[in-house]
Amino acid sequence: MKIIFFKNYKIMAALLLMAGLTSACKQLIEVPANPPTQIAGSQQFSDSATIMTAVAGIYSYTSPGLGFTYNDANLTLCTGLSSDEIASTNAGNAADQEFYTYSLTALNTNIIPLWEHPYTGIYPVNAILTGITGNKAIPDAFRTQLTGELKVVRAFYYFNLVNLFGGVPVVTSTDYKTSSRLPRTSVDSVYGRIITDLTDAQKALTANYPSSGRIRPNLYTALALLAKVQLYRQNWQAAYDAAGVVINSGMYSLETDLNNVFVDGSNEAIWQIPATGNYSVTQEALKFVPYSGSIPGYLLTTALMNAFEANDQRFQKWVGNTTVDNGSGNQTYYFPYKYKDLTPSGATEDYMILRLGELYLIRAEAAAHLGNLTVALADLDLIRSRAGLTASTAVTVDEVMTAVIHERQTELFTEWGNRWYDLKRTGTAGTVLSAEKSGWQPRDTLYPLPRAQLQINNLLQQNPGYN
Amino acid sequence: MRIQGFTKTLLVMKLTGIILIATMLQVSASGTAQTVTYAAQATPLTKVFAAIEQQTGYVFFYNSRDLQGITPVTVELKATPLRDALQNVLAGQPLAFDIQGNTIVITRIEKEMSQEKDTIRAFRGHVHDSLGHPLAGASVTIKGTRKGTNTNARGEFAFKNLPDDAVLIISYTGYSNKEIRPDPNFIMYIVLQRSEEVLDATVIQAYGTTSRRFNVGSIATVDAETIAKQPVTNVLLALQGQAPGLAINATSGVPGSRVQLQIRGQNTLLSNPGFAQFRPYDQPLFIIDGVPFAPQNKNISQLSSLASSSFSGDINQAGGISPFNNINPGDIESISILKDADATSIYGTQGSNGVILITTKKGKPGKTNFNLAVNTGFNTSTRTIKLMNTPQYLQMRKDAFAADGVTPSNDPFDFFAYAPDLLVFDQNKYTDWQKVIFGKTSNNTDVHASLSGGTLNNTFLISTGYTRSDFNYPGNFADQRFTLHAAIHHTSADNHLTVDFGTDYGYEQNNSSAFGGARNVLLPPNTPDLRDPAGNLLWNYKGADLSGYQFYGYLKQSAILQNYNLNNTLRITYKILPGLSIGANLGYSRNTTSEHGTNPAAAQNPSYPYVTADFNTNAFQTINVEPQIDYVTNIGKGVLSALVGGTYKKNTNNSNTTTGTGYANDNFLGSINGASSISSYDNLDIYKYSAGFGRLKYVYDQKYIVSLTGRRDGSSYFGPGHQFGNFGSVGLGWIFSEEKAFQSAIRFISFAKLSGNYGTTGSDGIASYKYQDFWQPVNNAAPVQGIHPNSPVNLYNPDYSWALKKSLNLALDLGFFHDRLLVNATFYRGRESSQLAGYPLAAQAGFPGVLENINSTVQNQGWEFSLTSNNIKTKSITWTTNFNISINRNKLISFPNLESSSYNSFYVVGKPTSVVLGYKFKGLNPATGLFEYYTGDGHVTTNPRSGIATAGGDYVPIADREVQFMGGFGNTLTYKHFSLYAFFQFSKQTAPNWLSTVYSSYIPVLRARNLPVAAANYWKQPGDQTPLQKLTSSYFSDTYTSAGNFGSSSGAFSDDTYMRLKTLSISYTLPDAMLRKLHIQDGRIYVNAQNLLTFTNYKVADPETFNDFAAFPLQRTVAFGLSFNF
Repeated sequence: MKIIFFKNYKIMAALLLMAGLTSACKQLIEVPANPPTQIAGSQQFSDSATIMTAVAGIYSYTSPGLGFTYNDANLTLCTGLSSDEIASTNAGNAADQEFYTYSLTALNTNIIPLWEHPYTGIYPVNAILTGITGNKAIPDAFRTQLTGELKVVRAFYYFNLVNLFGGVPVVTSTDYKTSSRLPRTSVDSVYGRIITDLTDAQKALTANYPSSGRIRPNLYTALALLAKVQLYRQNWQAAYDAAGVVINSGMYSLETDLNNVFVDGSNEAIWQIPATGNYSVTQEALKFVPYSGSIPGYLLTTALMNAFEANDQRFQKWVGNTTVDNGSGNQTYYFPYKYKDLTPSGATEDYMILRLGELYLIRAEAAAHLGNLTVALADLDLIRSRAGLTASTAVTVDEVMTAVIHERQTELFTEWGNRWYDLKRTGTAGTVLSAEKSGWQPRDTLYPLPRAQLQINNLLQQNPGYN
Repeated sequence: MRIQGFTKTLLVMKLTGIILIATMLQVSASGTAQTVTYAAQATPLTKVFAAIEQQTGYVFFYNSRDLQGITPVTVELKATPLRDALQNVLAGQPLAFDIQGNTIVITRIEKEMSQEKDTIRAFRGHVHDSLGHPLAGASVTIKGTRKGTNTNARGEFAFKNLPDDAVLIISYTGYSNKEIRPDPNFIMYIVLQRSEEVLDATVIQAYGTTSRRFNVGSIATVDAETIAKQPVTNVLLALQGQAPGLAINATSGVPGSRVQLQIRGQNTLLSNPGFAQFRPYDQPLFIIDGVPFAPQNKNISQLSSLASSSFSGDINQAGGISPFNNINPGDIESISILKDADATSIYGTQGSNGVILITTKKGKPGKTNFNLAVNTGFNTSTRTIKLMNTPQYLQMRKDAFAADGVTPSNDPFDFFAYAPDLLVFDQNKYTDWQKVIFGKTSNNTDVHASLSGGTLNNTFLISTGYTRSDFNYPGNFADQRFTLHAAIHHTSADNHLTVDFGTDYGYEQNNSSAFGGARNVLLPPNTPDLRDPAGNLLWNYKGADLSGYQFYGYLKQSAILQNYNLNNTLRITYKILPGLSIGANLGYSRNTTSEHGTNPAAAQNPSYPYVTADFNTNAFQTINVEPQIDYVTNIGKGVLSALVGGTYKKNTNNSNTTTGTGYANDNFLGSINGASSISSYDNLDIYKYSAGFGRLKYVYDQKYIVSLTGRRDGSSYFGPGHQFGNFGSVGLGWIFSEEKAFQSAIRFISFAKLSGNYGTTGSDGIASYKYQDFWQPVNNAAPVQGIHPNSPVNLYNPDYSWALKKSLNLALDLGFFHDRLLVNATFYRGRESSQLAGYPLAAQAGFPGVLENINSTVQNQGWEFSLTSNNIKTKSITWTTNFNISINRNKLISFPNLESSSYNSFYVVGKPTSVVLGYKFKGLNPATGLFEYYTGDGHVTTNPRSGIATAGGDYVPIADREVQFMGGFGNTLTYKHFSLYAFFQFSKQTAPNWLSTVYSSYIPVLRARNLPVAAANYWKQPGDQTPLQKLTSSYFSDTYTSAGNFGSSSGAFSDDTYMRLKTLSISYTLPDAMLRKLHIQDGRIYVNAQNLLTFTNYKVADPETFNDFAAFPLQRTVAFGLSFNF
């Protein structure tokens, strides 16, 4: 029967040829080097213009993990609920209510973006820093500028992380094999990295913003953030000096009309990110401005309402109110109203990250601690007078310090977690908040790490008091 | 001749080629005797045939070439029986006839053979199938002896010496045995009939056909008849319980929603676990008529709709719309489920999760036949949950406040006491939301018509179908389908060239509401009116914001999906030499979806509506070219069949999404033109695959079987240097019932086969370009200072390659009592290593994961048993039974350094991959009313620590989600004109129970949401022993803490065993007398029902879509139908 095989050897040969052709042929499975929607890392860093697309990604406020990652107003909401600023009228929203009532668990869904998104944002920062280091395709000045501004960005991410969670893993490279297994570090070493980054940035940056608007940090952005960080670290002199440079730069001035503070082009802005989402409206406006006839989703707490002195213009212009018949008569409800514009695709407001108003208060606080009450009161009164209030009556160092903290409460409410951070760094969170609501426990100054993260990286330690 | 053949070969190779097609001819036997009265003088044979056709209704089949040179005939027939008449007509002609049902096949007796004369004892024969194709390798044995021979490639055989009284038994796979008494004076032309025996019925396998008798791989088949009895619109649902080893899960009861399939367990590990990530569910490879189905079993929808519900415990049930909606079940001839290495290793890197081969219907030669089937039916929910009424609900809410000593308040400043449902809403209002949302009885209509027929060499089939399934949901939502199927077959006059062309076109429109509405069954029963009498939506009630309650808003948000499916296949085979054919299989499959979703102002709170419209398209395309060479020859007493081929495949998936916002008027929402702002993005994916493969099968003496398959594969999914791989399998079979010793010893066993195979398959089931560090423009992002932002999308890991699965399959097949009872027992073991998965990374790395081969081995091992029995077979009564059960055991058998990997809290070596780690539940403490859990060291607490023991936590393995066993059994009873089919499907596993839903998603009372009546059984006072613990209205109570831990505890899992009367089909065949009056060939009236009854210990929700009792329920369908053949 072998004969049959051999008789047909030509056919067999053809057959084998065909099989050979179709199989081992590399050409048959060749696909373009990259899909039309994507480019490889090497292409991303091939020239300045392409690098700028990655840089634009850093400041875009669109997708989770991009921009400043708190693009769902989550930082404002969570810290506002944890402190004494706002409360949710939706008793069924466990994710919100756990913050308000100090019953946070590691499964809380709002915790997840607070932890994960900054790291998603830090990765491209590290990737660009790696991609431009030693890159011969770009001019030195461009590299220096980018290095400086991106380090400001990275410092800001870590500043929020360390204030929300305590010591966190510090990732400065794109090597995922190493970075995914890093344990937490101490608060001091996170701050060490922040101050190093800001100091590097200070050396690299100039007074000019590298592009129009105040989106990409300049020297004063770095200094403004450094002033804030040094204030938190209680390095009063350093905070005082850095804030002073920014204030005296002459580039910024307080907006006299409070309604103009948060709009695009505000002269008070030191760092402002465009609201470039689908609707180009700010998430804060979406969350806080109520539907007509409905009780707002978030109300200003009585504590914050009472913190405003009579005739405080900020209460008039930054706090909204709506009067609703709740079934037992008309009732007026108050809600945060710094961001107001809900015009689809045409909103005029930008997210304000750092502004001159805060810098005056930073310098005032630092000056008070340094015993320089003249500067402290002068700075404080600038803010007060803009709000339509008379000069502060504080006299002693303690009184001035208390007055500044109080002014921060009414000036910086529902902005980037300021109130929550202030209560924690001044050590008053426990006393202030347990007087305000029940449930406070010492553990509550730090948020828990998301449980899934502890499970994936078993070197991460949960904050004390959380399971 | 040989040279000529070779030249032809090359020619055909260029064009493409061939495949040996075993055309199936199944003709029903007609019982009535026929006579012929006819006289003719020197009349051409064709005229005589025509006359006989007219008189008898029988149809002649012949190649006109065969009639060339035939002398005209002169006959005179008077009421002569057909058979005698034909003998008369063909007397002296070199033609033979054979009657197949109502078909008369005329074939020419080979000239050289008919002229040859042999010695008295010598005998020659010629074995053909009913279409005149020679059957090579048919076995011819002398009855009572072991002597015999096989036919050659021309179907010829010869004996030199035969005993005078010899009886020859001719047998061939898939055909009934035939006994003949050789007459040395004639060269006998023996036609073998297609067997209707289960054992010899054609089984579609990879690149060809086989039979249960000679197959050594594990293939389960579901035929058209079984599918036809089930009133389902998605053919995948018709497979449920029908094939051992095949698990089917409906993701939802929404018409058009996806169905998930899995063959022999889960092989791969979890990818990128995050908070909302569920364990993956491996899907097999889907091939329709030889062409990989372009969308496979992916969700074709990008819009949120009612079908996009997505969870069931922690197994990924990613919903969406199924591409299989557009395949009409009425157009399917059979579905083969390939499970082991022998069956699947020929698919190389794609076969490791098994393969589903779908074969569509082809035309059959014979009288042109028109079939019309119409049915209409209604749908209702399988299991509706019973929810609390207003007094029960209000009592529960009040008790919750009371438990914490809180007085409900209507002041929103009183944050925790604020309860508008208790103080603002009407306390006497009652709406049964279950009834409002799922209470409707919806309609189903299905019409299917087909026209088929043709001559021996040219057959055709055209069929068309229309199906409409209304949603069991308020509003005018429906899934509609229109399909067109056609198949043509041509064989050249010399029988050398065969061409098969098949085409399927399907259009589907799924008109659905936006996602989110279904869960509103849990709205408080005293929810205020959400619409005013004019039908306008109301957004607040005495200040209470109703945005979270506005069910009717979802109804105004549309999600319209239109899917266009085209499958084309062309198979060309050219027979170069007897036994050797060359051919090609060409396929094109394209599935395009275009979607339109709107969020009109009318659906939104008028304060500041964001009016949007989405326009999405999603197109999957496969081009498939497979040249092939088949060779069949006899070697000794055996038959060798060889197959060599190659594959080139290119898949593309292009999708794009365009969103328009800022419409001034809702009426513009149908177009993008009215949008004041447009954002758009697209996604392109390409996959190329090529392979060379071969299969060698040798069946010796109809007893011993050896099967070898091999494949070399290349896949563009992998980085340079990792693209190619080799796969193969060895299969052995021994039909020991053919052994004389066995036959004489055990008479009641008519068939016995032991078979086994071992081999490898791979898996490249990933997306393209995952090995590079890519950056891409951010979807939908606005430019930042004129620059479109880019962001990184992938981490760099060029080293991964396919996952490798090694499988072993051992099977014992037994036939008892002349094969009336067939039993199969199979043991299998599959071990997949280097799983290809997105290795989870901690968020700090910047990405949730990176694609890697994971150094671990997952084993799926199990048993499958099936039984087919013809219990009764008499003239008026037949009773057949089918039964199958499969038992799969999944186990992670190795995972070095699991403890320090990202999987440390998800897997345990030695446990199934569906293991759940959590707290061991102690139960309710009747004194405190709180749930209690065990800590790792055996203490009892309400608040255990999360994490595994080595991380200082209290996690232990608390459950696994493996299906312990599953299967189905069906009985078909026919009595005269009546036929009854009842099919039960059953399954047992551990599943999240309804309490897990209560405590994870709808924590009692903290939300103003209704719950099932069963939830009213909560703890009220010391001593109560209840399924629910103490209620609470506050977040800082121990009650809240212990409630929060419940979802991670063993208390959240329960046994989920059910048996479902999946299908009940009753039909009545119209009697002949009536049919004749109506001029109908055959007619049937039937009632088919799906999901009619359920027996289960699973509480509250449906045992199939467990866990979320508020999800869109599965549907019970009852359809009444008529089917006619004209």
